[in-house]
Formats: sequence, structure tokens, C-alpha cells
Amino acid sequence: MSILDQKQLIASIHPFGQLSSRELDALMKKIDIAYYTKDTLLISKDIESIAFYIVIKGTVHEYIDEQLHNVYSHGDSFDADALIYGKTESKFVVDEDLICYEIKKEDFLDLMQNKEIQSYFLQDFISRHKHLKEFDAQSDFTPFLMARVSEIFLHKACIVDADISIYEALKEQKKLQAKVIIVQKDNSHTIVTDTDLREKVLLERLSVDEKISQIANNEIITIQSNDFLFNALLIMTHKGIKRLIVTEDDKIVGVLEQLDLLSFFANHSHLVAVQIQKASSIEELQFVSEDIKNLIVTLRAKGVKARYITKLVSALNEKIYKKVFEMCVPKELQDKCSLLVMGSEGRAEQTIKTDQDNALIISDDVDEALFVAPMEQLNSYLLELGFPKCKGNVMVSNPFWRKTLHDFKLQIKEWLSSLDEKELQNLSIFLDAKSVAGEESYLTTLRNYLYENFSHRDDVLAHLAKAVLYFETPLSLFSGFVLEKEHNNKLDLKKGGLFAIVHGVRVLALQYKVDETNTIERIKELNNRGIIDKNFAEELIESFDTIASIRLLALLEAKDLDEENYINPQKLSKNQRDLLKDSFKVVNKFKKFISFHFHLNMVV
Amino acid sequence: MFKNFFSDFKKKRNLAKLKDEKFRFLFEKDSSGEYVVFDTETTGLDVKKDEILSIGAVKIKDNKILTSQTFEIYLKNSAEISSKSIEIHHIRPCDLENAIDAKEGIERFLHFIGSRTLIGYYLEFDVAMVNKYIKKSLGIELPNEMIEVSEIYFDKMMPLIPQGNIDLRFDTILKKCGVPDMGAHNAVNDAIMTAMIYLKLTQESNNVKTSI
Repeated sequence: MSILDQKQLIASIHPFGQLSSRELDALMKKIDIAYYTKDTLLISKDIESIAFYIVIKGTVHEYIDEQLHNVYSHGDSFDADALIYGKTESKFVVDEDLICYEIKKEDFLDLMQNKEIQSYFLQDFISRHKHLKEFDAQSDFTPFLMARVSEIFLHKACIVDADISIYEALKEQKKLQAKVIIVQKDNSHTIVTDTDLREKVLLERLSVDEKISQIANNEIITIQSNDFLFNALLIMTHKGIKRLIVTEDDKIVGVLEQLDLLSFFANHSHLVAVQIQKASSIEELQFVSEDIKNLIVTLRAKGVKARYITKLVSALNEKIYKKVFEMCVPKELQDKCSLLVMGSEGRAEQTIKTDQDNALIISDDVDEALFVAPMEQLNSYLLELGFPKCKGNVMVSNPFWRKTLHDFKLQIKEWLSSLDEKELQNLSIFLDAKSVAGEESYLTTLRNYLYENFSHRDDVLAHLAKAVLYFETPLSLFSGFVLEKEHNNKLDLKKGGLFAIVHGVRVLALQYKVDETNTIERIKELNNRGIIDKNFAEELIESFDTIASIRLLALLEAKDLDEENYINPQKLSKNQRDLLKDSFKVVNKFKKFISFHFHLNMVV
Repeated sequence: MFKNFFSDFKKKRNLAKLKDEKFRFLFEKDSSGEYVVFDTETTGLDVKKDEILSIGAVKIKDNKILTSQTFEIYLKNSAEISSKSIEIHHIRPCDLENAIDAKEGIERFLHFIGSRTLIGYYLEFDVAMVNKYIKKSLGIELPNEMIEVSEIYFDKMMPLIPQGNIDLRFDTILKKCGVPDMGAHNAVNDAIMTAMIYLKLTQESNNVKTSI
């Protein structure tokens, strides 16, 4: 550990960093360092809080009703509420010899004169959360400027021999959909742009049978693929040019267009969408889907909220699905069926490609057998694009998930009567279904059928809801989090938090006939219908977003798929840890809400 | 008993030499219940030749380090600071712009400590440096009681390491006591760290063995 300076340490603790240098100096004159041995009781109902504590070293446990509620360690502070309101229900006990800063009560209350400090400590949960998040986003901004040329979409380089005709060169250019022609002579390159063609060929009435080298006399300007995009922008601006030839080990690998560069800085996603549309083969789609991962990295670095990233990525994946569907299913059959994505894709909460969870509803008036081959093809194409096979075989190649409308209705009836775990799980997956290609109305029909059958079947709903309580929220003990030894002291974000929210909200959505599949949209709709009050809805959304965005980070860093839901809280920044802790508290609150709502204590 | 008698005797002899009555308070019985931890930065390690560059001090009361009353001064020096010593204490000539006259600085220090017990790490040296100044101006040596933290540490470690090869370097003690390194080694920070070590060693007298 190295604390640079006392003043610096204090300033590094939010919200004291908001203080001006002079205010900070004044504050330093009021701070003492105290030492407390293990088991010292600092604050309780009977021991009035006399100071605000900032931990330098050691840990302090906070208990409410003898239950461990929070753990404070280096950089943490407590307890503003006890000082402001003059009482507390909590008990603060030193767990490991404590060295801490103490700000006396009067001095702390004086400090509250500062508007920033005051609002920080007086804010309720939600706004405090947003406050911390904004603070976090600022520090994430830099990586965006550090993006490299290799991370952006590059146009194919159309390189032609100096001796071929202008006509041949143009044909080659069209084939590659390239913007410019690069002319190679020995080891040197020159460039032919649209302007050259207009001015030197059309206006000069030059025959297109002439050699291309005749009109190529502009030197190319290159940039290394590992250079910063920012530099590319500088070169373009400086030289007044619209494109750069990108090289890697002295070989030309592509062309960087100014337009792409600018839209990368403005809205990178637009490009990917266009590329998907333009793709004419599975290989091209493959190329594009590689790009989606880069997109996620950039957007996160930009500080874009996880929920927008996942929505965007889901939208792009949907486009891929649609494209693949069009490639596999014969035109005349395309409106005789509806391709569904389910699970996280259906909820538009998928980040990097998760397992394929898809299904097909087939019209009652066509032969099912016609779809067997196309669907198998669809699955294998998706696999090629990097969508892993679903371990539970929830895929259109499986006849269970490829049924006529009529058979799906029978299936729903069966779900209603079966209390089997596996069946309930299938039902959960189906509840998130979203139509991405083909005729959408089939799904609407099925969904309405589902609502009709489930209304007033609270018994089945309760059984479905029970799963919310399957996993413990990993909050307590070590630094506030319960870590899993077999996973290198990491904690599972999906089991620990996301699942409870997603599933609980999903069951509520079924009960109240909410059509949305996205968890946040569902929460909003449930709030509109008065099932969840506004405050709680916002808490839920913020918490869901926090856990999801930290998970996104874990996903991006995970080396193998099995570890993707795990994070090591020690690696998170102080702010993120606090946000996560708060979020898990909300998850616990939600579990209680669901238990109460579905009377889960009465369900065996 | 004899020791007390001897120190009383020494104190009296010391007092007899006091040239300036204004500083009689140094000899009065301390009633504040506080301790002062202090550290000096000097131009070198030779008490005879070298001079004090800065003094940092904090008070301890019960289990608290009163950083709110931190004492820090820089003293004017007669000679250029050698570049070699700058490497150690990181005090450059420009840092001494706010420096005050040695006489005034030392007097302010005496007022800060009063008759409180002094605590330090290799305190002997720091005290000798201060004595050099006050012997000249006041005719006395610091009469305060003194506590040496490396000694307390040594006593604590002794039963654990019977061979007696106890590493008494500051950084080692810091680490063994689990005291955070405050980074910059200036007089004030060193005094604060020493104070933490002192609290760690004394407050926790019973279970220190388990945590060291």
C-alpha cells in the first residue's frame, strides 16, 4: 500500500475530491488519526456517534439486528447518517485493528455547508448511484481516444497492376466495392480516385482501354494499422485528404475513409449495421460479427450505459439473424413461419454472443418437413458466425423448438399442468421470445394464448417464481461480498444478482400480461400498471444496470466461457464496489418482494 | 528509586543552567496527558557539523494522533545544502523559501512540546540535534522524558526471536506493525508513522504477538 500524502488520500475519497484546495487544507487541520483495537464498539444505538471515520487500515463491520450488513475497509467511510440524524440502528465494531481518520461531529456538520458534500450525503439511494456512475464514466473516457486504426472498419484495398486497362481496373474496383484504386508498379504505389477518373478520363475523353498507370500519379499516404485513430484524423486534417492507406508490416491491408473515421467517433454502430445489410455471403457476415466485439469495447470505454450497449448489440445480432434467415429459408416459405430468439437474446440483454436460443413457429397450413433442412443450415451458419450451440439444445434444429402453431398451443397447455423443473425452465425461455424474421403475428397469437391460460393460475406462477430464491445473493462477510473459493475468490454476478431480477420480473410480466421482453422495459411497464412503485422500479433498473455493466466488463476480460459471469471484487474500483454492494441490497429487497407477492413461503 | 533520584538530580542541574526564565515551563510537571512524537530532517548525520533543516511533530493523546495540530517548520541554514543530502531528505534549497530563523524555529518547537514526554525513532539523534541549538541559546538540554519506539519494538520481538537478530530498520518495523507507508518521507510524515507504530505497540500490548 502506498498512500502518497494524507491530503491526497482524503481527496481521493468521494466526495471530498469536490472540495477546493483551500477547503481541503482547512479540513486537514481538523482531522485526527485514531487507533482502535479489534472488537472495539465504535457506534451503536447507545453510543452516540462522535465522529466521521475514514478507514486507513483495518476493517469495521456494521451490524443491523445482529446481522452483518456491511464491511468497511481501506478508503471506506462511515457513518454520515448517524451523524446527521443523531441516531442509528446499526452497530459498528472493529473487526481488524483499525487505523482511521476522524473528523469530529461538529467539523463534519460544518463540512456539510459545502453544497456538493451535502447533496452527496443527503441524497437518496438512486441519485447517489447516478452520481457515482457519472464520476466513473469520466475516468473511462480516455480509452476511446486511444482506439487504434486496426479497430475500425477498413475498406478492402483494390490493388491493380499498372499495366491493366482502366476498364479492367474499374471492374475490379466494383467487384471489391472499393472506393479507390491503388496502382502497383514494382514496389511503389499510386492512387486513382473518383476525381481522377472524372477529370482525367471523362473530361479528357480518354479511352478506358488506356493503361491505368496513365492516370495514376498521386502518391499514396499511409498509416500503420497499430497507430492511433486520433493520429489518422490529424493526418487527414493536416494534409486535406479523405483517405489513408493502412499498412501492416509494409503490406497494404485496407483503406481508411474519412467518413468511416468520423462516424466511428460519432456513432460506430451505424457502420456495422450497414455492413450487415451489405453482406452477401456468410464469410462477410463473419467479418462483421468480429467487429461487434470491438464495438462493445469502444462503447463501454465511452461510458455508454450497459443497457444501451446490450440493446444495440441485440439489435445488430437481430439483423444478422434476419440476414441468415433470408439466406437459408426459400422466399416462398419466409412468411409461413416466424423465427424467434429467446433467452437473453429475446430480452435484448445479450452482450457478446451467448448461446443460440432460437425457435421456429410454423404456419398450420404448410408441411413442417419443408423447414428441416433450412433450419439445420441456419443453426450451422450461426455457429460459423460465432454463436455457440445451445447446451440445452434450445435451437431450431431440435424438433421440440420447431413446431406448428397448433403444436405450440398444445405445448403451452402442457406447461400449465407440469411442475417439472425442466419444463418450467423451457417455459421461462419461451417467455422471452421475440420474433426476428418471418411473420411476426404467429408469436402474438401464441402470447395471447399464453396469457389466457395463465390468468388466475397463481399456483403455477408461484412455482415458476420460486426459482428467484434458488441462489443466495453474495452479500455479507468478506468485504461485504461472499466469494466462491472454487472460483478463485470471485463472485457470480449472474446467479448472485441478475438471475433474480430477470426471472422475478419475467414472472410478473406473465402475470400482468406485459408484452415487453426486455427486463428494464418490463419493469417500467410493471411500474406503469402500479405493481411496483416508482422508487423501487428505479432502484431495480439502476441495480440491474450496474450489475449488468460490471458483468459486461467481466465478459470482455474473461478468457474462457465458464468464467464469464465471475468477477473479483478486489479488482473493481472503489466506486464500482460500492455500487455493486448497493445493487445486491436491492436484489435482496426484490427477493423479499417476490416472496411476499407470490406467497412463496407457502409453496413447497 | 535510585534511577528516579538520579534523573531528578540531573534535571535540577540542567535547570540550574537555564539562562532564560521564559523557558522554565519545560521543567514543570506535565498535566496535558499528551505525548509528542517528533522527527527532524538534517543536512547530515554528524551532530557537530550538521544542521537541522526541518522539524515535524504530532501530539498523541490516548489512542489518537492529533494530526489536527501538526507541527512543521523549515529552518534557515548557514551553508548550502549538499546535493548528496538532498537525495536523502528531498529538501531542496527552494523548499526553504518559507524557512524561518533557527532560533525562532527552535523556540516555537519548545512551546509546542512543553514538558510532554517525547517519542521517536532513534530519538537520541534528533534530541542531540535540538540540544546543540538550545545549549547555546538557553544553556540547557531537553529535560523531557523520552520513549524510544525501536526499544519497545525490540522488547516485544525479543521473546519471538530468541537469537536476538531483530531487524530494527524503520521500514521493517513499519511493515511488521502493519502501519501504512505514507509515502513521502518528510519530518511530519515520519513523525505520524512513528506515532502509529507507538500506538500499535502500546495500545495492543496483550495480543501484539499474534498480529506481528
